[in-house]
Amino acid sequence: MAPDLSTELCGIRFKNPVWTASGCFGYGREFAPVMALRDLGAVVVKGTSVEPWVGNPGTRVTETPGGMLNAIGLQNPGVDHFLNVDWPWLQEQGATVIVNIVGKTVDEYVEVARRLEGSGVAGLELNISCPNVKEGGLAFGTSCAGAAGVTAAVRKATSLPLMVKLSPNVTSIVDVAKAVEDAGADAVTVINTLLGMSIDIRRRKPVLGNTFGGLSGPAVKPVALRMVWQVAGAIKIPVVGIGGIMSGEDAVEFLMAGARAVQVGTACFVNPRAPLDVAEGIGAFMAETGVERVADLVGAARPAPLTDPAPAPAAARKPAAAPKKAVGPMADYLRDFLKDSDRF
Amino acid sequence: MQGLKASRSKGQWVREWATVVSHDGQGDVYRLVLRAPEVARRAVAGQFVEVRCTAGRSLVVDPLLRRPFSICSIDGDMVSVIYRVVGRGTSLLSSIGVGAEIDVMGPLGHSFPDPSVGAGRLVLVGGGLGIPPMVAAAARAVSVGRPVTAVVGARSVGYLAGLAELRATGVDVVVVTDDGSAGARGMVTGPLASALADGAGEVWACGPEGMLQAVKELCARAGVACFVSVERHMACGFGACIGCTVPRADGPGYLKACQDGPVFAAEEVKLGGA
Repeated sequence: MAPDLSTELCGIRFKNPVWTASGCFGYGREFAPVMALRDLGAVVVKGTSVEPWVGNPGTRVTETPGGMLNAIGLQNPGVDHFLNVDWPWLQEQGATVIVNIVGKTVDEYVEVARRLEGSGVAGLELNISCPNVKEGGLAFGTSCAGAAGVTAAVRKATSLPLMVKLSPNVTSIVDVAKAVEDAGADAVTVINTLLGMSIDIRRRKPVLGNTFGGLSGPAVKPVALRMVWQVAGAIKIPVVGIGGIMSGEDAVEFLMAGARAVQVGTACFVNPRAPLDVAEGIGAFMAETGVERVADLVGAARPAPLTDPAPAPAAARKPAAAPKKAVGPMADYLRDFLKDSDRF
Repeated sequence: MQGLKASRSKGQWVREWATVVSHDGQGDVYRLVLRAPEVARRAVAGQFVEVRCTAGRSLVVDPLLRRPFSICSIDGDMVSVIYRVVGRGTSLLSSIGVGAEIDVMGPLGHSFPDPSVGAGRLVLVGGGLGIPPMVAAAARAVSVGRPVTAVVGARSVGYLAGLAELRATGVDVVVVTDDGSAGARGMVTGPLASALADGAGEVWACGPEGMLQAVKELCARAGVACFVSVERHMACGFGACIGCTVPRADGPGYLKACQDGPVFAAEEVKLGGA
């Protein structure tokens, strides 16, 4: 039997666990010539604000070892353009769409969410972690109070599934994850880019016009994987894993660390079909190792099973169902370990 | 100015496994000829290709990104590019031998306008590594019988990459160098100003942005249509990353070099700044 790649998250069944990462897939148009967008688990569109944003001046991207830095600055055409132009087109493609939303103030996040209410998009991903805009973005994502505040405000404004994309540029991502969970998030995306920089030694100045930029690509994968592992062990809502995934094997690592879905970003720039190739790779791995459901990979590398936020219907559950809560000496150890997760 | 526009490609870009037909270096400048039938069939002068720097089909994560190169020539099922080794990526690329397979995407971006539409002598201006794209431009203009003069410049004789190929298209070529080691000592703006005074009808330029700005100003003063091909750091090359922006001339905001360009009508863009 061919493995079942579908996966359930926030009450939605996705065709497969591979989504496109916000900021790496535009609104999908550039990729439509080389793939059917409906074949993706979901399209997470570019960070979208109330009004159009022009983005940052100067050099915006540069390659680094095994990755790249970007300082785009959330250039986007605004939520009304999305609703009037991109969303109807995405619906024609049959795509499952999650809208990444950004704002300079809490009110702006709320307004974008309000305008998307009732549109039919599958969910919202709150971007509180973009390192490239001076106001908003990262300002909300680097403190538990800021992250919780904007999450709670948007929670009140939307009935849509609400995911929060977390910044790795914090002292404890676990604490921020817990704060947004308590504030009403339905899922978290782990991680956004790592803040970095590059210097042009001939010109004696930073390469990027914005001086700093977000590091992405294979270079960040071990860090992202560690953070997915930590966060998945500390909260009950699902984790969507992202960071340097180039292949099915990479994605399986994230699933085994506890992610229930993954996002593919930078890989799309090199191989526009990367998300589909990653999904195929997961399927091939499942077939090769006799795994029937994606859920059976989720947390598989962990010493204790994860709590299941969306248990499968009783009939579909195996007789020897895994305990719903992490128990046993190993889980206790893990819980204690994660309590103090900043020690390493 | 005369209703001329940079053109779309003949079709959608494709990803293709190209075979290296020849790959020769002179100093740090290399000429790479690829058999890439799907790219070649669609390519138009002024467009570019995105090339991985390593050969073969296994998953390589470093160097991660492709490198964008303007197309130098389109010949049957082959395209060529000329590049300079400037870093790790181009250094690795330069070591790839004949017969190897390279992952190529293209043709990307807008080409120069249809040379059969514009009127008068077409002046091609190429500076340094801006010369190679003028080879394909010259070949296309010659094929429709447009009179062409090419003005090319570089810091010295060793940096006139593509000069032989340009001469082979049969167009008139004027050479200048900063040090006088080939042609007259000076900058491309000298011969360009003469050509404009002689009634040139249209100018296409590629090279350093300071040169493009000077060419743009000369053409504006002469009231002659000018198209410039710009260079930017790129991640994807097909419009997704919004990394390769060029400031729009008509107010705030940016155009994408990869998708809206790399060839722009000069009056569309602000050159030489952020």
